Amino acid sequence: MYVAVKGGERAINNAHKLLAEQRRGDTDIAEIETDQIEQQLSLSVTRVMAEGSLYDRDLAALAIKQARGDLIEAIFLMRAYRTTLPRFAFSKPIKTAEMDVSRRISATFKDLPGGQILGPTFDYTHRLLDFTLMANGEQPTEAPHGEQPVDENMPRVLDDILNYEGLIQDEPTPVNENAPVADLTREPVKFPAGRDLRLQNLSRGDEGFVLALGYSTQRGYANSHAFVGEIRYGTVSVEIEPEELGFAIDIGDIELTECETVNKFKGSKTKLPQFTRGYGLVFGQNERKAISMALVDRAMRANEMGEQIMGPAQDSEFVMEHSDNVQSTGFVEHIKLPHYVDFQGELELVRRMRTEVEERLAKRDAEDDTSQPEAAE
Amino acid sequence: MEQIVKNPADGASAYNFAYLDEQTKRMIRRALLKAVAIPGYQVPFAGREMPMPYGWGTGGVQVTAAVIGPNDTLKVIDQGADDTTNAVSIRQFFAKTAKVATTEKTAEASIIQTRHRIPEKELREDQVLVYQVPIPEPLRFLEPRETETRKMHALEEYGLMHVKLYEDIARHGHIATTYAYPVMVDDRYVMDPSPTPKFDNPKMNDMAALQLFGAGREKRIYALPPYTKVKSLDFEDHPFEVQTWEDECGMCGARDSYLDEVILDDKGNRMFVCSDTDYCAERQEAGHRGPQHHDQPLGTSKREEAAE
Amino acid sequence: MTATPQTSDLLPGFDHAAFDSNAVFRVLLDAMSRPGRIYDLPVQTVSPDGLNATATATLLAMTDMDTTIWLSPTCATKAASDHLKFHCGCPITTDVTQADFAVARIEDDLSFVTDLAVGNAEYPDQSATLILIVEKIENGPAMTLSGPGIKDTHSLAIKDLPQSFHAWRAENHHLFPCGVDVIFASPTQIAALSRTTRIEVN
Repeated sequence: MYVAVKGGERAINNAHKLLAEQRRGDTDIAEIETDQIEQQLSLSVTRVMAEGSLYDRDLAALAIKQARGDLIEAIFLMRAYRTTLPRFAFSKPIKTAEMDVSRRISATFKDLPGGQILGPTFDYTHRLLDFTLMANGEQPTEAPHGEQPVDENMPRVLDDILNYEGLIQDEPTPVNENAPVADLTREPVKFPAGRDLRLQNLSRGDEGFVLALGYSTQRGYANSHAFVGEIRYGTVSVEIEPEELGFAIDIGDIELTECETVNKFKGSKTKLPQFTRGYGLVFGQNERKAISMALVDRAMRANEMGEQIMGPAQDSEFVMEHSDNVQSTGFVEHIKLPHYVDFQGELELVRRMRTEVEERLAKRDAEDDTSQPEAAE
Repeated sequence: MEQIVKNPADGASAYNFAYLDEQTKRMIRRALLKAVAIPGYQVPFAGREMPMPYGWGTGGVQVTAAVIGPNDTLKVIDQGADDTTNAVSIRQFFAKTAKVATTEKTAEASIIQTRHRIPEKELREDQVLVYQVPIPEPLRFLEPRETETRKMHALEEYGLMHVKLYEDIARHGHIATTYAYPVMVDDRYVMDPSPTPKFDNPKMNDMAALQLFGAGREKRIYALPPYTKVKSLDFEDHPFEVQTWEDECGMCGARDSYLDEVILDDKGNRMFVCSDTDYCAERQEAGHRGPQHHDQPLGTSKREEAAE
Repeated sequence: MTATPQTSDLLPGFDHAAFDSNAVFRVLLDAMSRPGRIYDLPVQTVSPDGLNATATATLLAMTDMDTTIWLSPTCATKAASDHLKFHCGCPITTDVTQADFAVARIEDDLSFVTDLAVGNAEYPDQSATLILIVEKIENGPAMTLSGPGIKDTHSLAIKDLPQSFHAWRAENHHLFPCGVDVIFASPTQIAALSRTTRIEVN
């Protein structure tokens, strides 16, 4: 018996109700509040802001709640909201040199002006499950403050220290601070893409993907050995300059992690050898992403540096086309949509080809039978 | 400035008419005008994130959102059917954000958004067909790099495509492409018709309706103006041909429509039914019957209870 | 975003931004898809000195801060510039090679058309669109059109279309896929010539 499938609309609505029910889980357990997520799952929040390309902690917390903790789904919610927002202004370039630093370390110098500031970090924690968090809840003791205030103008390792000797390439700085910067959310990407576009793509790219690519550069799929010159994490202010005012105004602070790597040097018989750079910048505290981004940024500069392309991380078209987890999730998952029309075409073809081969074989067998009347013994 | 559609059913929402902001619509509209002026050429556009996943019709939805006006009547089909889940979802989206009339009747629609099929009923000049496209680049599986495929289109260098089709013939005795079968548009651009079965390719040629193609994830728009020459690639000794069935539609008896195979049990029993649900329903209303229709001797009357 | 307007002399734009833009766009889309067919302007729009209603509506519907407009000297009145800057927020250039949309009157010196961007082989869409303000568009025998969008042939007559236009258009057609698309804007009607359109001048 055949019954045409009907009632898709009701099925969809019911599926959504079931989803909402499962999101809530056991109603005897207190519902999670978005401010709890915002405060206590803050690294999820910043990842969702970073890859969602929208700095709004409350919305990110809401997205995480709505997505049942699926961060890629939450990122998607943020993106779909972001895209409807009108654009009022473009910010001035932020100044990470003036960052209010919570953490700042360098792997290239034991000690340096401004000092190594450990700040909040998982580094050196022993990864032992802390069952007291489960049993008793936690009442952390207040962390002590350092004796000396953090340097307000923390020197930058690459620009202020290494570059003092000319040992590292200058980062090309735009002549005009207000010159337009590429924006892949407003203009279609064209290849080869400039570094501004590549960095934007990486910064909102999937953390796992960028991490894996960064890792691949360390395993021979690129050749640009990197040192972490500096990582800094803290807050910087964002300024806009409304045309009618003619001067910049501060519209708020954002948390950022910045990583600058010092990479394999470059030079020639006539040119002094110099170290090269990779750059990573991401919302929130996310050193994994910032370091990976710097590695991949440096790898993608292969053409500019005249290096041989030997790995996917150096292939900016490959990297940029596959880094976006909203795009890749959608397309990977779309193959669960009905494809029976296409599949029908394939079925028809495979059946036809099988018949043809069978006929051909049968014909050959028949010929073989008649052409070999006297088989060997 | 923008027209906000208040949506009482969904208190938290207030969208611009048809969801997209006016600036985004203008950007898409400019791309559309270029697309019709250069038939078959893929115009890059700054595709937006939509509130549905990439690969699920975001390109078609953006094109429809840019084209649709308050007086339009929208039909959405997926695999030829109006009632598949994704078609329902997209139709609801426009009913909600643009408050437009929707229909399941091909003849009543002014805009038809489709995934994987072209309606069987011949389309008219006053209709627009919007295709959802996953991979707009017909050369993509031969050359993954956009920088290279762009060059190939620029130089009209389509040798690779012919080699691929010819290799099929050498290996299988056939061109082994059954859907997304590449076409040549107005003797200039090789174009991906989207993953419609090649059965539908001939309908694209010289069609009276405007055909628009949107690929959201890949951020490309392309178009076929009405009455444009669209030729499926082939060889003199291996001319293009479409699928045929020995069976007829079990419900309406059609022999000229694209048929889906329906598995009836686990003993190899199956029947065929029109992929285009509106076409099939219209034929049944006109009294046409297939062997499995409920009022046929072989059919079953259970259908009536089950189908509400 | 846009410069502070001098509101005293400003004319209104569309009554309903979303609906009017859509209506005008649909006519443009139809016109460009079916070269030579004549469509009525679907909205009432006031136009500043230098432009007519159809050209104004086209610009209001299609341009914004992402598009650069070039106006011929006779179109580039202060009223027209103010109107477009205020309602569209679009940059207006005096360098015709930069134009996404170029606007001129049919009686203007049209020698600028050869400087319009035609795109390049890889990106033929990066070309300008020419809006020509004309007095009258008719379904007359002056031109016989064929090509994509046209079933068999179609005739079109544009009042005062100079011979030089045809010479340029023939060349433009040969550049395909590069080239400039043309929109004719009479006070109440629109017709278009896509770069694909073959023209036989009768």
